[in-house]
Amino acid sequence: MNMPLYAQMMKSHLQTMASYAFGSAFYILLMFWIYPSMATQSENLNALLESMPPGLSRAFGLENGFGSVDAFISGEYYGLLFVLILSIFSVMTSTQLMARLVDQGAMAYLLSAPTTRVKVALTQAIVLLTGLLIITAVTTLAGYGGYAWFIGDLNDFNSSNFLLLNVGALLLFFAVCGISFFISAVSNDEKRALGISGIVVFGLFSLNLVGKISEKLSWMQHISLFSLFNPAGIVKGTVNWGPTCGILLGAGLAGFAAGMMLFKKRSLLL
Amino acid sequence: MLTVSHVTKVFPGGKGIYDVSFTVEQGEVFGFLGPNGAGKSTTIRHIMGFMKPEKGFVQIKGYDTWKDQGRFQKLIGYLPGEIAFMEGMTGKSFLDFMATLRGGVNEQRRAELVERLQFDDRTPIRKMSKGMKQKVGIVAALMHEPEVVILDEPTSGLDPLMQKVFIELVLEEKAKGTTFLMSSHSFPEIERTCDRAAIIKDGKIIAVKNIHELQAVQRKLFEVTFEHEADRDAFLASGLKIDSYKDKQVRVAVQGDYNRFAQETAKYRIRSIDVFSQNLEDIFMDYYDRGGRE
Ligand SMILES: Nc1ncnc2c1ncn2[C@@H]1O[C@H](COP(=O)(O)OP(=O)(O)OP(=O)(O)O)[C@@H](O)[C@H]1O
Ligand SMILES: [Mg+2]
Repeated sequence: MNMPLYAQMMKSHLQTMASYAFGSAFYILLMFWIYPSMATQSENLNALLESMPPGLSRAFGLENGFGSVDAFISGEYYGLLFVLILSIFSVMTSTQLMARLVDQGAMAYLLSAPTTRVKVALTQAIVLLTGLLIITAVTTLAGYGGYAWFIGDLNDFNSSNFLLLNVGALLLFFAVCGISFFISAVSNDEKRALGISGIVVFGLFSLNLVGKISEKLSWMQHISLFSLFNPAGIVKGTVNWGPTCGILLGAGLAGFAAGMMLFKKRSLLL
Repeated sequence: MLTVSHVTKVFPGGKGIYDVSFTVEQGEVFGFLGPNGAGKSTTIRHIMGFMKPEKGFVQIKGYDTWKDQGRFQKLIGYLPGEIAFMEGMTGKSFLDFMATLRGGVNEQRRAELVERLQFDDRTPIRKMSKGMKQKVGIVAALMHEPEVVILDEPTSGLDPLMQKVFIELVLEEKAKGTTFLMSSHSFPEIERTCDRAAIIKDGKIIAVKNIHELQAVQRKLFEVTFEHEADRDAFLASGLKIDSYKDKQVRVAVQGDYNRFAQETAKYRIRSIDVFSQNLEDIFMDYYDRGGRE
């Protein structure tokens, strides 16, 4: 890794990362804030949920109902919004860190300094993962803050489930970042990288969603990485962590490694 | 010091560079001349190791610039042909960043370069004019006192005064033994700094020449205005190569043989003489013609 490059990249991306992190923190606080008013009506809401087609509530991770705060948060926040925020982050940031520098030509300066392409790519990957870590960590802390603030004593909080939700999201997005980093590293054109990466990531996301909604199309979710992050399952304790971790870590590492290797070997139009 | 050996790269569509070879010796200033789209930047991208040659190789001080990434760059200063910096930086923060990437530079040298090129390094790069950006790029290429400097169209965007400062900088560095390779469209610029130059057209090197030889083939047009029209007629019969004439004016094409031109014109009363240098494109065409005949 190249420390001066890391410092410079963090300097220029920290503000955007902070915006994602604070946006996410704001939403999760909002969720904790509205939970008490939901909880008083949880019977009505649960009845409403039952009247909905089962696919729909599954798709949005609502099958655990509104009975407990972690069920509510897992469904309302980790089931959809947080996944969307992190998807946008991975696609945008990975494109900016590699394809944009090549497209605009600034990569020429980095590569004319005494460093190797692998080191440059590795540094950019670490910047991307630092951002992911910052957003997840700030969201986690905001979750604890939200509980203490709006719900009650933190000692009553079933925080291991909440932590596992964040670990699960981190693992999923390690894999997603690996994929979007790979696309960015092999692209010469920023817009194209953004487009392809967007289609791939949101395509996988939609496959999972559609697969959950429709019984007939349920095979779809099995080919999507996004099905490996199952917030409702995490809260119920039905997730088999071994293979999940293995696949997500493997996919992420493969994406980063392949991106770096191809970036090393390809001709750059600088 | 720098060897480009049989480098070939064909882009889809047939453009590219074909079998480009030349060497630049230590301490030499080597010009790389050619019209738009000739393949200058493409060759330089191969020299910098950005592109993988389909055939051939580039070596700088024994390092293969494609295979030995990370090792040869410490010897090199580079100015890209199209300047693009990272967003949101000022000239100063960019140069600071480049200095740390290079593991530190001589601050005094850097300050001196900024001073001589006269720019305000606190300006955000986004707001800089083309010439200002070019100056930042030149400082970035020279501030770490590299052994080999590779410049892709270094004077584009610079005003005449700054072009002069740039030429002085190159000559000073050359005196210290620095090796230069610079591409250009402009013969006068190459003429003032370079020892040798390669001419490239349509991706092929058509000549590598000592600069004095190039000067000898450069045709100059002298526009002589006579006092008397009769003198003009006598002059027309002198056997010099006449390009055109009108009233009391005659245009003579001179290539190398300035003495004979001086002798002939000295015989008459002359009102004025103007000189037009042949442009680069025409020098290339001369090369083509000569190549065809020889
Ligand atoms: N990536 C590419 N794909 C296809 N063609 C390319 C590519 N890069 C360059 N070319 C073509 O190769 C030729 C040489 O381009 P190059 O940029 O090397 O020219 P140049 O001599 O630097 O010209 P200029 O004086 O305008 O800077 C041009 O015709 C250009 O269009
Ligand atoms: Mg060029």
